[in-house]
Amino acid sequence: MFERFTNRARQAVVHAQEEARRLHHREIGAEHLLLGILAEQHGVGAQVLAGLGMQTEAVRAAVGRRSPAAPDAEALRTLGIDLEEVRRRAEESFGPGALERRRGARRGHIPFTPEAKTALELALRESLRLRNRRIGTEHLLLGLLRRDTRLATALLREAGVDRKTVEARMCSQQGSG
Amino acid sequence: MRDTTTLAAAASSRDPAAGLRAVASLRLLVEQLTDLQVDNAREQGWTWQQIAQVLGVSRQAVHKKHAGRRFRAGRD
Repeated sequence: MFERFTNRARQAVVHAQEEARRLHHREIGAEHLLLGILAEQHGVGAQVLAGLGMQTEAVRAAVGRRSPAAPDAEALRTLGIDLEEVRRRAEESFGPGALERRRGARRGHIPFTPEAKTALELALRESLRLRNRRIGTEHLLLGLLRRDTRLATALLREAGVDRKTVEARMCSQQGSG
Repeated sequence: MRDTTTLAAAASSRDPAAGLRAVASLRLLVEQLTDLQVDNAREQGWTWQQIAQVLGVSRQAVHKKHAGRRFRAGRD
């Protein structure tokens, strides 16, 4: 499927992987794809989103906040769990950084979530539906909007991005990518 | 007199956002501890079957979740 992607759409997927890694996430989800689209600034997808007032930094912060890579001590305290004590005991047996070192040590390939895979397949379907030969970042965006994905959908909805608006704006953006 | 933690817990106990956030954090903590213990077991020569049995899940489930991670980290 990737052979039909434009260079920009490929780059967006590469960016998505980088975003996931940066946030220490173990999988590339729809929310990382959204960040990838935004990061490919000159792509039609990013331009449409920017035109609708979506800001990469704000989305990145929201993704980090809503799917944290590490447990929150404050939140655990409400359950009666002392994260510091858990960490202390883990380190007593397994050495410094015992809790953290297994995670985020991710180099190379990060797998897609089923949700993200679906979004990529739907991007292909979107490009076929619109009779485009290639899959550009705008099709990736439409693919994301096709199915309800936990976080990406919420972020897009909050920013007022929907299929109709995207398609209308796509037409006014020249070129593909 | 209750301390601030208890008060905070009592105040937030019916707030779905706080409750769900706590559960999400707990899940992350469980994942971290599972990784730690699975790694330790493997390093002590345990088979995937043995690990799965104690965790109460299928061998396939354990393998799927941890074998790739350990391979990528250069541990298996």
